[in-house]
Amino acid sequence: MTNPALPPPSNIPGYTAAAIRKRRSTFFAVVGMTLMSGVWLLAVSLGRNGYNFIDFIMLGVFTPLFYQLSVGFWTAMLGLFFLITGRKDQFDLSRSLTEEEKRSEIGATTAIIMPVYNEDVSRVFEGLRVMYLSLEKTGQLEQFDFFVLSDSDNPNKWVEEELAWLELCRQLDGFGRIFYRKRRKPINRKSGNVSDFCRRWGRNYRYLHALDADSIMSGELLANMVRLMEKHRNIGILQTAPRVFGAGTLFGRVMQFAHAAYGEPFMAGLNYLALGDATFWGHNAIIRLAPFIESCGLPELPGREPFGGHILSHDFVESALMTKAGYQVWLLPVHEGSYEEGPPTIIDTLKRDRRWCQGNMQHFWLLFAKGWAPLARLNFFHGILSYVASPLWFVFLLCATALATIDRHNPDQVIAAGEKAGLLLLLITLGLLFVPKAIILIRQLTRKDLEKDFHSKKAVFWSCFLDTIFFSILAPTLMLFHSKFVIFTLLGRGVKWAGQRRSGDDAVDWEESILTFAGVSAFALVWAAFALWINPTFFLWISPVLGGIALSIPFSIFTAGTGSGRNKGFFATKEELHPPWVLSQLEKNLAKAHVREAPIPQLAKNYGLLQSLLDPYVNALHVSLLRQRKRVTPESRDYLDALRRRLVRDGPNALNKRELSAVMYDPDVMLRLHYDLWSGSGDGLSAWWDTAIRQYNILTREPVTALYR
Amino acid sequence: MDQLQIDFNPKTGSDAEWNDAYARLADYFRAHRIHSRLHRTYLVLETLKRAAVTHEKHPDQSPTAVAIHEARRMHRDWLRGIIGDLNVPEGRLDANGRLAFLLCDGPNEYPDFFLNSSDAPFEMLAAMRAPIQQSGPDLAVSSMVPRPIDLGVLPDIAGETSGFFGRHPWMRYAVLALVAALVAWGLWTVTR
Repeated sequence: MTNPALPPPSNIPGYTAAAIRKRRSTFFAVVGMTLMSGVWLLAVSLGRNGYNFIDFIMLGVFTPLFYQLSVGFWTAMLGLFFLITGRKDQFDLSRSLTEEEKRSEIGATTAIIMPVYNEDVSRVFEGLRVMYLSLEKTGQLEQFDFFVLSDSDNPNKWVEEELAWLELCRQLDGFGRIFYRKRRKPINRKSGNVSDFCRRWGRNYRYLHALDADSIMSGELLANMVRLMEKHRNIGILQTAPRVFGAGTLFGRVMQFAHAAYGEPFMAGLNYLALGDATFWGHNAIIRLAPFIESCGLPELPGREPFGGHILSHDFVESALMTKAGYQVWLLPVHEGSYEEGPPTIIDTLKRDRRWCQGNMQHFWLLFAKGWAPLARLNFFHGILSYVASPLWFVFLLCATALATIDRHNPDQVIAAGEKAGLLLLLITLGLLFVPKAIILIRQLTRKDLEKDFHSKKAVFWSCFLDTIFFSILAPTLMLFHSKFVIFTLLGRGVKWAGQRRSGDDAVDWEESILTFAGVSAFALVWAAFALWINPTFFLWISPVLGGIALSIPFSIFTAGTGSGRNKGFFATKEELHPPWVLSQLEKNLAKAHVREAPIPQLAKNYGLLQSLLDPYVNALHVSLLRQRKRVTPESRDYLDALRRRLVRDGPNALNKRELSAVMYDPDVMLRLHYDLWSGSGDGLSAWWDTAIRQYNILTREPVTALYR
Repeated sequence: MDQLQIDFNPKTGSDAEWNDAYARLADYFRAHRIHSRLHRTYLVLETLKRAAVTHEKHPDQSPTAVAIHEARRMHRDWLRGIIGDLNVPEGRLDANGRLAFLLCDGPNEYPDFFLNSSDAPFEMLAAMRAPIQQSGPDLAVSSMVPRPIDLGVLPDIAGETSGFFGRHPWMRYAVLALVAALVAWGLWTVTR
């Protein structure tokens, strides 16, 4: 194994300090010029009658907002430069392997890990199955092991996962290659789960493919990424840009389409800037394990959660630590073979953003830490800005309202707003927002092979048009919520770790939407009424923002529906129209796996416990996967015995979640309960268990598993 | 017609109780996925016969409990004969044995040899022993320790401030109210 203390020199042709400097100076020169123009135009516009206190606040909040806009614009434009001119980026690692190298045997051992937390078990294990089979087709399966690392605390999910693992191993003959590990205590959540793997098994492997529960990667890409890491020994992390797939709702499909249509130039532009200092996004990436174990252990941040404590957005920090250790972190701009799913509704997006917001805000601590590479520091800054921009925009709008209030007796001045300077700034801002999109659209429409990636020119045109309206309505609502999240984080209100909803089958209902958006809608209506009172011109100026927020309830319900013009090809992507084998096979398998008998409602809540206690084989599996306790104190034994007796006599509803968990973690108690229940009768056995015993064999000939047979 | 001979005459317990025990045992063996009614009935009767003898010594227990206890004893004896020499801890014999039978696809391939190791095919015995002998993956323990990050001076100041607000949560809201009041005052001043 390579000594992690001494990273080998980079062997990427032409990758020199001068080349890096040239690219980054070009990028920041154009961003800087754009920023200066914007700030200067706003200053001229505001200073028509001299400056006041509000003008300075507006300039203060406008600068970072315009910087963010400029960075996005130039990232897309530089990416488009490569795509339109047909020039090949010499630092595009996806072109680094020769055809011969792509066929070479892999000698390095790689672990493919999938941390899960109360996920759809069928989706997790069927995903694993297609990746396993896809790797098998490449002939390189021998060098890969799969690990499902569970932190699920829902007993039903836990037992379902155990059964699915066993069934998958039986079906694929995967014993000794597919492993399942359940942590007793989910310390430090996902990053703790991964570190725990590294501590226990890390030395067995040279590389680690990090996946999310919804990740899918083709065997070819998995194998080629290992080959790339073998070729470039200085790369510590290689991150793919996963394409979104599997959306069923309008919201999900618009997001999926936007990703497919606009993602490619952004990725090319990001690679242009980041080079070997890219960020790690936590999944669909390969990691060189030795330096990761050596250098990327995460410390606790000062203070308490939510601002301090355990690092939530660990991936950014891990990539910064990796570059600090002398290894490179690269983006791999591939457009096939790496996939993930997105949230199906706005509400699910907001729940996810709440966590991400807190995680990014924590990076404030790291912004001024010593030893980071400049771009790692910039990545932290951009991450923070992506959320702080929302309250800044909010303050900007408040200031605009205040200025309009000051000038309410002179309405012409509001629109004049510095006349030409203001108008020019407005045009530049619109240009930054829409020019890349327009160029991308023209590029797509002039492609001869458009049908390879999308439905038709007409469908692409209308999808782009409609998604512009969609994002115009969505953005102000996200702004208000993100502002709220930032303030909550600053006030010390942390987030709980919750499982993610990834499919739209049980889409959002009216009640949830009303409860979520009623407050912001009312706020927008009051603001709009005030704007109208100030003067109608200002009302028209601010109405696109307030209108979007005021419409958030019907918008969230409408976009959570499945009517999305799919039959006309709207928002259709390559993954929908011509799915690769891994995705089509996954869909086929899931269709079968999801058709299975459900337990009767009164047993459903504790069905996992029921299976693990009544079914002799499930009980054996569960007990075998539990760690034998080395020493049990008499107090613990008495406590567990009391729980055992209560569980038999009063049924599972008499025990709370913690007590049920204590029972399920003890192999001796689980084994004993199996016999206690089968031998129980009369008053000694609760009615719940009596029903369960009578129902269990009727329900199914074999235990219900999350897999298709 | 010859007299029908059923060799089951328990001296203790009522008919109703033994009927319950029969039903429970049938369910229990069905839960083991022994789907052949014939074989299941044979196993149930064999277990009940043994249970009837045991129940005479423990009449205070229900026949159902004694029957399941007998089934467990038969199961353990059977497993001991197959995997007893593999250093399986006594407490894990049942669980590991059941799992081994499942992994060799015993319920489908060898249902007739469940609780019956005489004449059991070599393939079944070998397949049951295999998973006990190989479990993994082996641990390869590494030390992954948190890397200290020098956060500089700012976090110290911010940390102390955060600690202060953590100890006095009402202060957070007081500061927020003060900021809001200042903004409102500023707006009022400017707009007049």
